[in-house]
Parts: sequence; structure tokens; C-alpha cells
Amino acid sequence: MVLILAITIGCLFAGAIYLMLRRSVVKLILGLLLLSHGVNLLIFTMGDGVRRGAPPIVDDAGLPPANVADPLVQALILTAIVISFGIMAFVLALAYRANQAVGSDDLDDMIE
Amino acid sequence: MLASIVLITLAAAPLGLLARRGPRPLVGWGLALLPAAIFALLLSQLPAVAGEAHITQAIPWAPAMGVELRFTLDGLSLLFGLVISGIGALIFGYAGHYMQSDPGLGRFFVYLILFMGAMLGLVLAGNVLTMFLFWELTSVTSYLLIGYKHDYPDARRGAQQSLLITAGGGLALLVGLLLLGEAARRAGVPPGEAYTFEAIIGAGEAIKAGPLYAPAMILVFLGAFTKSAQFPFHFWLPGAMQAPTPASAFLHSATMVKAGIYLLARLAPGLGGTPLWSGTLVLVGGFTFAFGALVATRKLDIKALLAYTTLSMLGGLVMLIGLGGKYAAEALAVNILAHALYKSALFMIAGIIDHETGTRDLNRLGGLRRFMPGTAAFTALALLSQMGIPVFFGFVGKEIMIEAALQSPLDAPWRYAALAAIVVGAVGYIVAAWRLFKGAFLGQPSPDVLQHHVFDPHLGMLAAPAVPAALSLLLPLGLLPLVSQLLAPAASAVYGKELELELALWHGLNVALGVSAAAILGGALLARFERRLAALPSPLPAWADGARLFDRLTDAMLAGATAFTAAIQAGQLRRYILYTTAAFLCAVGIPLAIYGAASAIPITPDPQLQPYEVFAAALIPVAIVATIRARSRVGAIIAVGVVGAMVSLFFILFSAPDLALTQLLIEVLSTVFLLLVFSVLPARFEILSSPWARARDAAMAALVGLLMTGLVLATAGSDAFGSIAPYFLENSLEKGKGHNVVNVILVDFRGFDTLGEITVLLTALLGIYGLLRMRRASPPPPAPSPSRGEGGQKEGA
Repeated sequence: MVLILAITIGCLFAGAIYLMLRRSVVKLILGLLLLSHGVNLLIFTMGDGVRRGAPPIVDDAGLPPANVADPLVQALILTAIVISFGIMAFVLALAYRANQAVGSDDLDDMIE
Repeated sequence: MLASIVLITLAAAPLGLLARRGPRPLVGWGLALLPAAIFALLLSQLPAVAGEAHITQAIPWAPAMGVELRFTLDGLSLLFGLVISGIGALIFGYAGHYMQSDPGLGRFFVYLILFMGAMLGLVLAGNVLTMFLFWELTSVTSYLLIGYKHDYPDARRGAQQSLLITAGGGLALLVGLLLLGEAARRAGVPPGEAYTFEAIIGAGEAIKAGPLYAPAMILVFLGAFTKSAQFPFHFWLPGAMQAPTPASAFLHSATMVKAGIYLLARLAPGLGGTPLWSGTLVLVGGFTFAFGALVATRKLDIKALLAYTTLSMLGGLVMLIGLGGKYAAEALAVNILAHALYKSALFMIAGIIDHETGTRDLNRLGGLRRFMPGTAAFTALALLSQMGIPVFFGFVGKEIMIEAALQSPLDAPWRYAALAAIVVGAVGYIVAAWRLFKGAFLGQPSPDVLQHHVFDPHLGMLAAPAVPAALSLLLPLGLLPLVSQLLAPAASAVYGKELELELALWHGLNVALGVSAAAILGGALLARFERRLAALPSPLPAWADGARLFDRLTDAMLAGATAFTAAIQAGQLRRYILYTTAAFLCAVGIPLAIYGAASAIPITPDPQLQPYEVFAAALIPVAIVATIRARSRVGAIIAVGVVGAMVSLFFILFSAPDLALTQLLIEVLSTVFLLLVFSVLPARFEILSSPWARARDAAMAALVGLLMTGLVLATAGSDAFGSIAPYFLENSLEKGKGHNVVNVILVDFRGFDTLGEITVLLTALLGIYGLLRMRRASPPPPAPSPSRGEGGQKEGA
């Protein structure tokens, strides 16, 4: 299963980098979106093995179920998802303003 | 006592500022008391360093690493110390006269005293680290002195070149000296002593046999050759003649330029005698010797002429160290003293001529002997010594130098090459000296001379060059036994064994005398045609001038750096991303390709693999390609949404319900935002980049994708670090009072992370608020630029 994840991560990074290298600011934003997906999945693979086990929820005795997933990477990714959303929202606002000021979404038009 | 000499001299530097107020010539001679006292103190130590004896004083810094401020006085240090303090005393007195009307004299004296302290520290240093410290200090003070007249572009250029070259050589030297220390340690010297000269020389045989010898010596040679102006680094020395003449006479003839000679002579008994050592030193030194003497015969500026004979003699000294043997050690000691005497006198006389007539150009001088008989007499004394005419000290030096070449332990070709260099040098010296004397003092007075009221300078000023010039004659005539007593310990220190030195004017009719006589005859013959020789076109093309080439090199470096910066800092985001990505590919990709393959986990088919998992995974690349190729904005948003949904699905599949929930929620919000913002943008994408740029970016992106896949495969199986997940699972309920471990981590165990996350969101919110509000505040289209600038600032914040 790691193989499939690895290939997916590779595709996400490749697509993200290609989009970020474009001149359109919209494509740059789409690239950032893909990049955050790629990074989140990358963090996922760093955990204590990738497994189709039980979610990290302990029972009343405080004992985890058998074959439990790594909770730490999940917490990290949760933070990452929210932060990347915040950044995306900001960049979107920036693109919106830039479009108003320049009348184009071409990054080269925005150089002084 | 040794440390006090150096440190008190350095601390006394502010005394130079007395010259700002006091009566100047008097302050100069008053300051001369300091070096004079040092001279007397050092001379009183002569009996203590006879033979191989020496005195040492150490102030520990980091004893475990062998770093200490260590001073040692032996014969060689003593000779250099006497030259520095003796000439120094004369220079201080002379400078007071020479720069009587210069408002910056106080500053000049401060630099000069600092330099003297540094130079004394250099020759008294007992370990290589202490020596290096003072070595660099002499480079810096030399820079300040050359650039003293900083209003002149030439002075700035000369100062900069000398600093770049000597400090650059200093860097090489530092590495070389550290390698020597390391080699000594490998040879069994205790680490605490590995950097002392004694230990390095003592372990010489083992170091020579070790692998570090060659690299260390090449680096040390670089340091010594740059400092002592050896070809091809020689050109900074003529450039350094921009310094006020007292500084040229002190630093660039008698003392600092001999630092490289000092270091080589110091190391010679332990590390000399190998083919690398002898070959390099004889070749470079011999060539510089002949080359400098020949160039000197063509110079019209008195100081430039003297500069070339100086670097020539430095080459001769380097060659002597390379030749090795008893006579070479003796010749080295004799010539160091002889050269310091006559050359410092000549430089000071050049200053007097410049001072009295306002020029140093031999074409514009002439007939000075009528107006300055005293100066002419002492010039003649110094020049005769330089020419090596019998009974002058220079003659003694030349005789023993020829003897050193004849008696060298090297093979015959080396000996004869050295002899040829000596003969060429001697002939060149005679022609150059005759040219100087004839151009300045003989013939009819030139209009320039007649314009000024030229006469012999104040006695106090003339005394400074008169002393060394007179000594050049008096020492060999009456004081040879005393001189021998002084030079024997120095020669012993260079030779490594105690030797008897008995200098004499007459050694009988021998080969050396014959060679010497032939050189004098040849020189006299050529000197008759001195003008015609100088009029010959230069054998070298104009571009082959070291200083000019060096200027071009530094200019090219600066231009290259500017172009490089302009290329990288182009102001386009995608260029930065491109370079960052390329750097990432190199920095991570290359090690991964080399080492990663070994640690990659074996790829085995997953028995649990479900068809829907494969479907979800396969949908992601399809959606990515669709995003990239989308022509309409809405199409792109839909494709990106598919990617987000599939990633959420992955989170569900791998037991991360919280992530899946959040991701889906964010995905919905993102889509709404994207639609909102994209609605005001043009509905369709245009193709902006060239096909070539797209192909390049695609290749780059594909490489990054491959690299990331490889990275995951190479690291997923790694268990180099134990997981800390069990800790959270065990303590979630007990310490965090929650069943959902992910939530407990977020709000409890790693609560500060969440605080930071909220801060980021808040900052983004403020930024967005500012961006959107700005529109209402700013006037409509005509003046969009200020708001744009502000938007940029927000982003930066």
C-alpha cells in the first residue's frame, strides 16, 4: 500500500510544481492546493506504519484498540490542513486584489 | 620580557597621536626612543642566544588544543628584531621631518607603531598560531599605510591589491600551518605542543615522510610568496609604493616583505631539503631575482626602481633558502642585514629627493650633486653596497651568495641556474644603481630642479639614511668580527646546527671572486649603454602586467557576481521556485540516488489491496492532469475538488476519520472561495509560457515527483527512531481526559501547536480583511500602484 501512496505523493508534487511554475496566478494557487495535499500525505507516511487499522480512539479503560493507527501524524496533518487553508484564502484575496489593480492574472504583469 | 616587548609596543600606538600637537620633528625622534630601547634590550640578549640557545615565554590560551601566545627568541628572531627596531628608530625620526606639514601625521604614527608591534610579534612568535596572528596584523597595518593618502585613487588601488594578495595568501598559510600542526601531532608530538616551531622542526623527518607534507608546504609557500612579493605575486609591491616614503622604507624594503623569508628560514632546518622544497624555492626565487633586477633597469620612478630591486633581492633570499647548506644559511643572514641597511637608506633618500624637488622621475631630475652634496655622498655609499663593489657590505653578501650557489648540496643544474640568476641579478643591480645615480645627481640640473630651492635637508632628516648607508661601509671595514658574532646565531638557526661564521673581505683568489668580478665588469659595460637599453621596447605585451591582470580579475569577479545576482533575483516568483526546486533536486536527489537504493523497502504485492483503493489512487493523477490542462476556471476547480475528495477518501481508508472530516469541510469551503474569486477573473486560461518553458517545467516537475516517490519508498521502512505514538495512546485518557487521541493531542499534549495554528489563521484573516478593505479606501483605477505596494507589504508581513 505504501507503493500506491508513494506514487500518489509523487504525482501530487509533480503537478504542484508544474502549476506553480506557470505565469498565471490562478494556476499558482491551484498548485499550492495540490502541494498541501502532497505534503499532508507525505506526513501520513512518516507515521508508525500506514495501516488500515482502527482509528486512534481509546476505550473507557484508556486502552487503544488492536492495530491502531498513529495518532501523532494525524494531529500534525490536521493542523497542516487548517493552516494551508488559511494561506490559500489569503493568496486568493491577494489574487483578487492584484486582478483589480493590474487587470490580469499574469504574474509578469505584476512586476514593477 | 618578549611578550612585554610586543604588547607594550602595540599598546603604545596611541602615543603617535602626540604628533598632532607637539613640535613634529621632535615628536618623531621622541617616538624613536621606543624602538631604540627595544633595540638595546634585544642586543643585550645576544649572549643568551649564542649558538642554538633560545629563550621562551608562553601565555596559555587553550592549553588542551595547543593554542597559546608563545614567544621565542633565538638567533634568527634576534637578527630580525634588531633590523625592525633599528631601522624603525631611524624611520620614526625621519618621518617626523618628511611629513612635517602633513596634518595626518598622528594617524600615520599610530599605524606605524602598530605595524612595528605586529612585526616584532611575528618574528618573536614561538608557535605558528601566534605567528599567523601577527602575520595578518602586518597585512592589515600595511594596507592602512599604503592607503594612507586615501584621496588618491592609485593609493586606494595599491592598498586594495596588497591586502587582497597578502591576506589571500594568509588564508592559504593558515591552512598550511594547521596542516603542519596536524602532521606534527600524527608524528607523535603531544597535542599541547604540536603548533610550536620547535615541535614542528623536531618532527621534521616524520612530517616530510607523511602525506600532509606536500599540501601543507604548497600552502605555506603561497603565504610566503605573496607576502614576500615573489613572482607571479610580485606586482603588489610596486603598487605599494603609493605609501608615504617612510612606510615604504620600513615595510616594503626592510621588514614586512621579509616576513615570508623569515617563515621559510624558520622552517628550513626541519622541513627543507626535499625536492619539492628546493625545486620550488630555487625556481621561484631565482626567477624573481633575475626578473626583478632586469625590470628595475628600465624604471624611471626612483621608488619603482627600488621596489623592483627589492623584490629581486627577496627572490635571491628565497633562492638561498632553497639552495640549502652551510653557506646558504650564512649568505641568508648576511644579505638580510646588508639589504636592510642599503635599501632602507635608498628609500629614505628617494623620499628626500621627492621632498626637495617635488618629483621622483629620473627624466625630470639631474645635477643634484651640486645642491645636495651630502645626500649624494650617502646615496653613493648605499648604491655601491647594492652594486656589490668590494669593501662594501653588499660585496660581502654577494661573495657568500655565490659561494652558497657553488657549494649547495643540490645537483649541478640547480647550482648553475642559481649562479646564473645571481650574475643576472648583480649585473642588473649595477645598471639600475648607475641609472639612479646618473639620472638624479649627475649631468646638468633640470628645469624642475632649478625651479625649487634645492639643498641638503635638515641634519635630523639626513641622519636617518646616513646611518645605514655609512654602516654599509663601516661594518665590513672595521666591525666584521662583531657582525659575525651577531649573524652566527641567526645562520645557525637557519642551518639547524651550530656553525662558526667568520666573515672576511678577502678570501683569496677563488671562483666566487672571479664570478663577482665578471659580473661587475659586465655591469659596468652595460651601464654605459644604460639609456639605450632602457629605450628598447618592452619584451612583454602591455596586457601582461600583473597589476592590470589582477584588476581585470577582480572586476570580472564583481561583474560575475552582479550578473549572477541579477539572474537569480529576477523578481519573478516562478524563477525563485525554479531555482529552489533545482537546488532541492541536487541536494536531496543526488544523495538519495547514491544511498537510497540500499535502504528502500522491497516492494511486495499487498494482499489487502481493494479495487476501490486502486480506483481512488488512479483518479488522483487523472484529476491532476485535468487541472493542468483545464481551459476554463470552473473545470480546474472541479478537477482540484476531485483530488481533495480522493485524499479525504484515503484518510478514511487509513483510519483517520478526523482528517477525512476536516479535509472534506475545508474542501467545500475552498471550492466556494475559489468560485467566488475566480468569478471576477477572466473565464478562460490563456497559454502564457513558451513550449520550451513548459517542457522544461514538466521535466523539472516529473523529476520532483520521482524524487518524492523515491523518498517515501526509501524512508517508509525506516525504524531508525522509535515511535512516540504509544505514549499518546497510553496517556490520552489518564492525562488528557479524552477518548479521541487525535483531539487530545491537539488541545492538550501539543496545545501550543494549535495556538500557533490559530495565530496563523488570525493573521491570514487580518491580511485578507486589509486587502479587501483597501479597495474601498483607495481611489478607483487611475492610481492603482500605491494600493499594490501596500498589498505586497501585507504579504511580506
